[in-house]
Amino acid sequence: MSSATDSAPLAAPGAPVAKRPAGASRGRGGGGYPRYVAGRLAGAAVSLFAVLVTSFFLFRLIPGDPVKFMTGGRPVSAEQLDVYREEFGLDLPLWQQFTDYCVKALSGDLGTSYQFHAPVVDKIVEALPNTLLLTGTAFVIYTALGAFLGTRSAWRHGGLGDRLNTGLALTLYSIPSFWLGLLLIIVLSVGVDPIPGLFPTGGMESGGEQGFAHVLDVAHHLVLPVVTLVAVEYGQTLLVTRSALLDEMGSDYLTTARAKGLRDDLVRRRHAVPNALLPTVTLVFVNLGRTVAGVILVETVFSWPGLGGLFYQALSVPDLPLVQGLFFVFAAAVILMNTLADLLYPLLDPRVGR
Amino acid sequence: MTAETTENPAGPPGKAADAPSPRALARRRRRASAARFWKEYRAHRAGLFGLAALTLFVLVALTAPLTVGSDVDSVTDAPGQPLESPSGRFPLGTDQFGRDLLGLLVWGSRVSLLVGLLAAALSVAIGAVIGITAGHFRGWYATVMMRITDWFLVMPTLVLAIVLATVMSRSLGTIVLAIGVTTWPTTARLVRAQTLAVESRPYIERARALGGGHWHVMSRHVLPNVMPLVLAQTTLIISSAILAEATLAFLGLGDPTVVSWGGLLQDAREAGSVSSGDWWYLVPPGVGIAVVALAFTLCGRAVEAVLNPRLGVSR
Amino acid sequence: MSTHDQHGSGRTARRPWRARLLAAAGACALLLASGAVAPPVSADEGEGGGDSTLTVAVAQSVDSLSPFLAVRLLSTSIHKLTYEYLTNYDAKDNHVIPGLATEWKASPDKLTWTYKIRSDSKWSDGQQATAEDAAWTFNKMMTDPGAATANGSFVGNFEKVTAPSPTELVIRLKKPQATMTALDVPIVPKHVWEKVGDLSKFNNDKDFPVVGNGPFVLTDYKPDSYVRLKANKDFWRGAPKFDNLIFRYYKDQDAAVAALRKGEVSFVAGSPSLTPAQADSLKGEENIRVNDAPGRRFYALATNPGARAKDGTKFGDGDPSLLDQRVRNALFMAVDRKAIVDRVFQGHAVEGAGYIPPRFSQYFYEPAAGQELAYDPAGAAKLLDEAGYRTNGDGKRVGKDGKPLNYRVLCHATDPNDKAVGKYLQEWWGDLGISITLDCLDNVTDPWLAGKYDLAFDGWSVNPDPDFVLSIHTCAALPATPKDTGATDNFICDKKYDELYARQLGEYDTGKRADVVKQMQSRLYDTGYMNVMAYPNAVEAYRTDQIESITTMPSAAGNIYGQDGYWSWWSAVPADSGDSSGGSSSTGTVIGIVAGVVVLVGLGVLFAVRRRATADERE
Repeated sequence: MSSATDSAPLAAPGAPVAKRPAGASRGRGGGGYPRYVAGRLAGAAVSLFAVLVTSFFLFRLIPGDPVKFMTGGRPVSAEQLDVYREEFGLDLPLWQQFTDYCVKALSGDLGTSYQFHAPVVDKIVEALPNTLLLTGTAFVIYTALGAFLGTRSAWRHGGLGDRLNTGLALTLYSIPSFWLGLLLIIVLSVGVDPIPGLFPTGGMESGGEQGFAHVLDVAHHLVLPVVTLVAVEYGQTLLVTRSALLDEMGSDYLTTARAKGLRDDLVRRRHAVPNALLPTVTLVFVNLGRTVAGVILVETVFSWPGLGGLFYQALSVPDLPLVQGLFFVFAAAVILMNTLADLLYPLLDPRVGR
Repeated sequence: MTAETTENPAGPPGKAADAPSPRALARRRRRASAARFWKEYRAHRAGLFGLAALTLFVLVALTAPLTVGSDVDSVTDAPGQPLESPSGRFPLGTDQFGRDLLGLLVWGSRVSLLVGLLAAALSVAIGAVIGITAGHFRGWYATVMMRITDWFLVMPTLVLAIVLATVMSRSLGTIVLAIGVTTWPTTARLVRAQTLAVESRPYIERARALGGGHWHVMSRHVLPNVMPLVLAQTTLIISSAILAEATLAFLGLGDPTVVSWGGLLQDAREAGSVSSGDWWYLVPPGVGIAVVALAFTLCGRAVEAVLNPRLGVSR
Repeated sequence: MSTHDQHGSGRTARRPWRARLLAAAGACALLLASGAVAPPVSADEGEGGGDSTLTVAVAQSVDSLSPFLAVRLLSTSIHKLTYEYLTNYDAKDNHVIPGLATEWKASPDKLTWTYKIRSDSKWSDGQQATAEDAAWTFNKMMTDPGAATANGSFVGNFEKVTAPSPTELVIRLKKPQATMTALDVPIVPKHVWEKVGDLSKFNNDKDFPVVGNGPFVLTDYKPDSYVRLKANKDFWRGAPKFDNLIFRYYKDQDAAVAALRKGEVSFVAGSPSLTPAQADSLKGEENIRVNDAPGRRFYALATNPGARAKDGTKFGDGDPSLLDQRVRNALFMAVDRKAIVDRVFQGHAVEGAGYIPPRFSQYFYEPAAGQELAYDPAGAAKLLDEAGYRTNGDGKRVGKDGKPLNYRVLCHATDPNDKAVGKYLQEWWGDLGISITLDCLDNVTDPWLAGKYDLAFDGWSVNPDPDFVLSIHTCAALPATPKDTGATDNFICDKKYDELYARQLGEYDTGKRADVVKQMQSRLYDTGYMNVMAYPNAVEAYRTDQIESITTMPSAAGNIYGQDGYWSWWSAVPADSGDSSGGSSSTGTVIGIVAGVVVLVGLGVLFAVRRRATADERE
């Protein structure tokens, strides 16, 4: 659907950066931006539908009888089990279950969670703000940090600062996030002599604070998970910004600008950076979509009450409607952000033109 | 340019005057380009460091049966007391069964490296096959394949891997499969783009006109040309596969009877070493994972920089 | 490639970008500083100054706060604190004592039970709790399948429930029922709950405070974060000593232990038990007490005796070799129980013998000298040889079908002990020539109910009256057909055992009944279907600087979390020191953070302004 995603493999910071989505160039077809938008949106819709199909059928592969999971092995008669089957529509043929699921999904109903006896949508809506708070904060910081350091690194490329910068980014990028989280808990939370424990060991709030004290309490709980996420994520932004900028700096117009007698830092800030930031913008959106799903580990380590924790709980039951719903949300986040990146790219890149 | 010289598109054209046979010529040219590759690779210090670290870890893993022995993971004849802190006898302390953690670390490197390599091989193999065929055949086949690729691209990788590992039984094979089938789409896209570029060259048309079938074109002309790309991609994917293996094992989805670095971290957490501050149990496996993943990344970047100097990734 | 108008756009884009960057960096630094300034947060932060708060760390999330739906230990524990039950259990020795009902009697035919409901229990909204509430609760469960989700089994046999007067409740049964003084059903206020529409989807977690009449009132709940309760000052048995009670959720037990060590929480519940490493490291800690109580659980290795239903249908795929008692006994003889207690539980358990843990001394049984299947690998090998399972050229024992024996052992992926013991079994049985595959699953329900396993790790909490744990091994507990789910634990159906079970059921003399129960255990031991390896202790810990005293159940060497009643939290007495230090440290946190924020924002602004000035100057 979008080659923008190419620039963000699971952990390949050095992978070539796709400079622009293949379809974004004006060359073929014609029809301009509106047509391009329509194409992207249609693609996104198809992808969303594909995700819906997958989330429905993939989880039917989990061995076992859902109603027996639901009753947790307590003695239940076959009739009672049939009642449950009927209640959750599990007695219907698979295709009918699927059409029901699709129709309901269109009206915003993703079914009822087995273990929480509550609508899946409600459980997701409950946990989503917490995940967004964590990922949003981390996202802003690591994007800013990555872009800033990437720019500096590119400008003084080859120097000691650049080498340290890239080296550190690559190293942090290679560290498993959960491990870093555990170490941070040991050092900064439990405390190792002579460092006292400074931060809470987990969770999002102590429970009970009101008003400003509550905000501070949440901020206090937010620090370690955010630091963990930033540490393992900023490297990619840094490397992409840096290599994009290096690419840009080889361009003729910069030489021209310099030849005109403009000072180096001016050339950098006014000419190179704005152009080179374009691939970074793509990456930013792709990252935003991925972070929602990738936060599972950090949420697990820090007992953060978000979607990741919910997904893990749902999977261990397994609470099929909840698992399906969450899977759909995770994938939809990626699709949404990729589509946004695709739509914005031609608007931002003067070379693609409109 | 003749068909064989397209091996390294950036390289100078080969000399083709007094060659005895095309085959020998090709071989010689390949050797020459390998030497050239190595010469350029050597210029990347980070890449050399990565290679050295890898060699060291691979040696450690391969010689593990001699150095620590296969009974290092035996719980019944564990030599020490549970959770001893580092000492002369146990340089990294012991785990909750009283087993030597240094030995387990060495032994665990085998599984971590093996899973990383196999998963990356699987991933790149799938990616390369789909990429080459989709680039070669075009038409509806390519459309369908690229749709599937796109669809896998939007799947959250970790989520999908967790689901696959849950659905199947807990074993190393499951982990390899879960990582392999979730990480291939990037490779498929890159390989397809390269395939399209290669097939647009005139000599492919010549080969076709001379009666070269699909198989001939794909295996003799396209494959050698995408190989460098595949190599770079493999190195980078191994790095992420090792991280993914550790992640899945840490989430308790690995085989509990097999010692791996991720599994050691999971054991450490379950035994309670975070709250007790038993850093010697937690730190070494994580360092192992990080160093190996970093080493593969460095190698991959160096290979990439050699093959595509315009990227300027590491200088 | 390049056009010149991009220079123009670059000019406008540049500054906001830098400003934003600065702001973001500032926010980052601010976050870091807020932590650096703050001292460890105490568990005793309350809204008011003098409020004492008891925080309990739990590693389980709430499934539902509706008493009709909740089945998890945490949720039912909360219901025990917020609602009254007809009867309660004495903290000292678990005998039945009055709850909402002050007295009760059965008709001679045991079919009509009359309960007298106390008149000094008020709902937290001021209304009187009456027999009408109880009758409504039971009737709802009898008529609405949604309300029967959690506790429906208690009322399955009820014919009619009425409340002739506010203080009298009458229950008519279809046939006699043993659990009439142990109806673990929270009684809910009719005037609140009759307004609820669909009980199967109502989770009781929207309107706070939740109207109840237990020692605590539920005041707040955030999923996967915390459950907050406030003391009910008008509780008829007396107000709890702590003003607030918070159950805080941690994703895993180790995080909860770390929180206790830091003083973020006052108590950490093992789920089901702290690990030896956690217990040992906490023991050395000042102000922390580790409660290492003899457990009421047994930890056993169950074998699949060939799953079948009452109608005679066989299902599942247990290994046929396990149908031979000699094989089962040989397997158990190769299990070193002492090593399991010493190495896996590191002393926080007692070596296994009979089915019922030694804590219930009356029923505790130990095999006689000649009967005991002591650890004896050589004897085990001999027994297997006798049974015809000899080793082949590779040293593997071969089954009757000519293939090497390989047992699938079902284990709980969430229980580290299962995995640890599994590793030992692999080696012990490997020496015998039998290989195993550890099937560790998050949820073992499915293969378990389908009989698709060979051996499985098994464990039950035993009640003071062992009837239930004994009943799950009778033929009567088998599922009626393969489609039903039976009460059976692992499909044991043994005639001799069933005869003994019937005998103890009709025996009213406690001493004689205990003898029969011991004979049943002896029979179970011999058959080798349930091999008890150990009785794990209940290991939990609390901070003595926050909790001065707390009641265990039973009061001598009992446990704290998961009691059959509200005794622990109701009785807990706050420690003096905890209160005052908590208050001041939380104020200190706030002041420190505010100061840090002000300084950093100031510095950030200053920095930004200066940078902007020099930049303008340069242009």
